[in-house]
Amino acid sequence: MSQIELRDVAIEYKKPKSEERFVAVQGVNLSIEKGSFVTIVGSSGCGKSTLLLSMAGLIPKARGSIRVDGREVTGPGPDRAMVFQDASLLPWRSVHGNVRFGLELQRWTRDDMNERAARFTRMVGLGSFSDYHPHQLSGGMRQRVNIARALAVDPDVLLMDEPFGALDAQTREVMGDELLRIWERDKKTAIFVTHAIDEAIFLGDRVVVMGKNPGHIREVIEIDLPRPRTNAMLDSETFIEYRKRLRDYFASDMQSMQMVRDVA
Amino acid sequence: MAVTTQIEPRQVPSLGALINRHYSLVVSTISVLVFLALWQISADQGWINARYTSTPSAVARAALVIFRTDNFFYHAWVSLSEFGIGFALALVVSVPLGLVLGTSRSIRLFVEPPLMAMYTAPRLALLPILIVWLGIGMASKVAIVFLGAIFPIIVNTIAGVRDADPRLIQAARAFGATRLDIFTKILIPGCLPAILMGIRLGIGRGLLSVIVGEMFVSEAGIGYQIMTYGQGMQIDKLLVYAFVVSIFGYSLTLAVKLMEDHIRSWRPAS
Repeated sequence: MSQIELRDVAIEYKKPKSEERFVAVQGVNLSIEKGSFVTIVGSSGCGKSTLLLSMAGLIPKARGSIRVDGREVTGPGPDRAMVFQDASLLPWRSVHGNVRFGLELQRWTRDDMNERAARFTRMVGLGSFSDYHPHQLSGGMRQRVNIARALAVDPDVLLMDEPFGALDAQTREVMGDELLRIWERDKKTAIFVTHAIDEAIFLGDRVVVMGKNPGHIREVIEIDLPRPRTNAMLDSETFIEYRKRLRDYFASDMQSMQMVRDVA
Repeated sequence: MAVTTQIEPRQVPSLGALINRHYSLVVSTISVLVFLALWQISADQGWINARYTSTPSAVARAALVIFRTDNFFYHAWVSLSEFGIGFALALVVSVPLGLVLGTSRSIRLFVEPPLMAMYTAPRLALLPILIVWLGIGMASKVAIVFLGAIFPIIVNTIAGVRDADPRLIQAARAFGATRLDIFTKILIPGCLPAILMGIRLGIGRGLLSVIVGEMFVSEAGIGYQIMTYGQGMQIDKLLVYAFVVSIFGYSLTLAVKLMEDHIRSWRPAS
């Protein structure tokens, strides 16, 4: 049985200062196997982050069900950990203190907290920076802290919301490699939201393509590339095929946007 | 021998280097000295009437007399106690109140209108009432210091809490933070600089309040002495007391500012 089950999920926002409701996501069905790496890709406004936040239990859903290991998601839980787009680190805490943060909130014992914080800080390659504060780190380093903070609490599912979205292209590639290296160790179920096509293909076992108005799943593409993934694959026939297929989706999105603009 | 001569120039930096390093200190010191010199010279030359302005040298002589014979430490102690007690009470009330008001919208909506009315009203105008209620002793001055200091701290604490980064709160919630966790691990550390800024403003207000309060009606204290010497046209002695107050206020404010800068050091300079 799959670990995560989304059945007919709809998410709505109340528009500010009116009774009107805005439908962000509708009719989403998705099953995610334990230990798989799923990427969700779509242009901005397709509700991909909203869907992820709902899986984290941070946004309530309007209809349908989201189950993790058979339990309905009603709020945040220690079985899931979230990596945010902006690192959202506590600026007054050191790297060590920030990695410890999630452990503190989940009431680990003092020894465990310090041991795990140190271990995961080393794992993301920041061992010699554990006393630094976030403002002293580069964007890529901050995201490493962000990832270490999530991994440290030993979640069953790792939810990542465009974690490399704000990084430059090169750092982004390095971080992708690093993420896979860490993920290969114990293959926790990973859900990774991005708007970058190459990133989605390179990281994922499956790519979920989302469309908008309202946000929905258009297709789920199995990525048939061996692991561990290497940069050489980026130029392989298969990769280029996938890229083309995904681009077509984005192109049709752009077209519909153009039409909206023409009408307006 | 050769070694010592090599090291020596590094250990004793040149005057130019010293000035560079302490540039702001040097400039401010010069500014004070120029002001004092101009004051002294203008009085000596008869450009201004020293009877009304006194002179730095006369103030310095008066200071010696006051520190030795004027019961200075008694008056200073009275004022300091009034200020200290009033300010401590203000701290105890304002920080928790500011934290609560910053977090709870409904309580804020309820309490804010009268609070803001009090904040903008000239609280020193309440002195006559306070004296009717509390007498001309220390209690009325403690009360006026309390009223003077409490509002800047409340207002800044509220602002600090409300400025809290919602992304940090969301991250904390994702890891299962309780309301108390968010309060103690995000809101309080996050608004500490704002609280200190409120304290810094509160010190100024509180000092002003204690001196004016004592000048208005009292039996002792620095404000009482200022009033006495003012009525007796003893400008030099009056100025000694005024300087004592400003030096005290300046040092205290500076200490809090340094603390603030230290705490803010995790933020990039903006």
